[in-house]
Amino acid sequence: MQLPVVGTIHFAIMKEDNLTVLGEFLHKRDNIDPARVTREASLEELKVDSLLLLEVLFEFEDRLGIKIPRDIRRPKTVGDLLEIVDKLQAGKGV
Amino acid sequence: MASARRVAVTGLGLVNPFGGDLSDFFGRMLSGESAIRLFTREDTVTSALAVPAVRCTDFDAEAALGRSLSYTMDRYSQLGTTAALSAWRDAGLPRTKDAPRNDWGVSWGTALGGTLTFESAYIDLLRNGRERVPPLSVVLGMSNAAASHISIQLGLGASCATYSVACASSAVAIGETLSKFRSGEATLMVVGGSEAPLSYGVVRAWEAMRILALGDEASAPRACRPFSADRQGLVLGEGAGAMILEDWDHAVRRGARIYAEFAGCGSTSDHDHLVRPNVEGQMRAMRMAIQDGGLAPEEIDYINAHGTATREGDPIEIAAIRGVFGSRSAAVAVSATKSMHGHMLGAAGAIEAIITVLSLASQEAPPTAHLDDVDRECTGVRHITGGSLRGSLRAALSNSFAFGGSNTVLAFRAVH
Repeated sequence: MQLPVVGTIHFAIMKEDNLTVLGEFLHKRDNIDPARVTREASLEELKVDSLLLLEVLFEFEDRLGIKIPRDIRRPKTVGDLLEIVDKLQAGKGV
Repeated sequence: MASARRVAVTGLGLVNPFGGDLSDFFGRMLSGESAIRLFTREDTVTSALAVPAVRCTDFDAEAALGRSLSYTMDRYSQLGTTAALSAWRDAGLPRTKDAPRNDWGVSWGTALGGTLTFESAYIDLLRNGRERVPPLSVVLGMSNAAASHISIQLGLGASCATYSVACASSAVAIGETLSKFRSGEATLMVVGGSEAPLSYGVVRAWEAMRILALGDEASAPRACRPFSADRQGLVLGEGAGAMILEDWDHAVRRGARIYAEFAGCGSTSDHDHLVRPNVEGQMRAMRMAIQDGGLAPEEIDYINAHGTATREGDPIEIAAIRGVFGSRSAAVAVSATKSMHGHMLGAAGAIEAIITVLSLASQEAPPTAHLDDVDRECTGVRHITGGSLRGSLRAALSNSFAFGGSNTVLAFRAVH
């Protein structure tokens, strides 16, 4: 079947986009170098504190039309954060 | 009564509509230059605003504070923190957080707090049909945000309090520190106030009280004319003023420049009427400040008046000054600098205290601008008109009288 293949490719691009979106947002909001925003990067080291994390979640909710639950475990890395966003975007729970 | 512990003013900072530094601002005050311009606004609203107002148009929050910090602040906090950092530098204090500063604190004033944040949120919710507001709305809008940012930026561990007493907010904030110094609780306090009141709703609310001065592009600079026979009301302004107050001995030990002594404060309530000022309440506040400062009325050579240019308020303040100073009133120099920097509400007391302190330090006081024709009801004092007043200025008062009937008068003594 063609559809799942197309879906996978689309999903891969989507994930890349969310990383780019995050990098751009952190740059705009906190002057963080987008090159430092990798999946492995620690949010603490990027100085994403609890307030900035709220803004990041709000930004993703707005852009992607998703609703991030209140009881998510606080992400430690960019990868953790994007995993939450990616799953919600794909229609899966977190 | 004054205690053995005295309080020195060792640093001054502001964000002002002229866009220059402290001496530039004071120089313009001395020359009677108005910062009032026609303020128009037509974004997001159905009917356009066009009122004389004072704006800090050159203020660049990101340049002053950095992107990260400026994003977490409403404009009133941006203005306030910038003024506080400027006063800190002016006092020659180092930006280190290592030293224990648990007897150094913040005492701040704002009448309205984060009104622009609230307005933006209401526009989103009620006009744009959104169901939610940005997640920092609470911490941007809260009225103690400016004070807390200052405390965090400068590492100040003593009390961090914000006073909201309408137009006397920052005068109260300054005055309330005296007891902390006298008791030994505080060694240094960052004091002042900030206001960013030019939201659509706030301007419309003041318009509805029928006390905002009117004007067009040409007449706006002369719109605010305190004590003048043809005065027509007040002009709203945004801005911030900060002072570093310091235990006198501490200031001397570190070799700080001392602009003036913060000698005394008097706070009273008219307990009478929400908006009609009261001669007796204002007299009590001035007398209390003079006595608290260990001063005699004869030593007061200059008064920076509250002088908002309302029909009702100005004559009452002059009557109160005459009541306090009696036969000497005609020798007491008085000016209302709101004629130039507008009414900055919660920041007014701080800006005017700074002007008062600089007047003592330079022995030169600014005029009331546009006062060509003193109202008969406002005579009996020595109005400074036309240009600045040079002379021996031993001590001075800064008057702040708020809606609600709260009066606060600050007394400063010159250092010779």
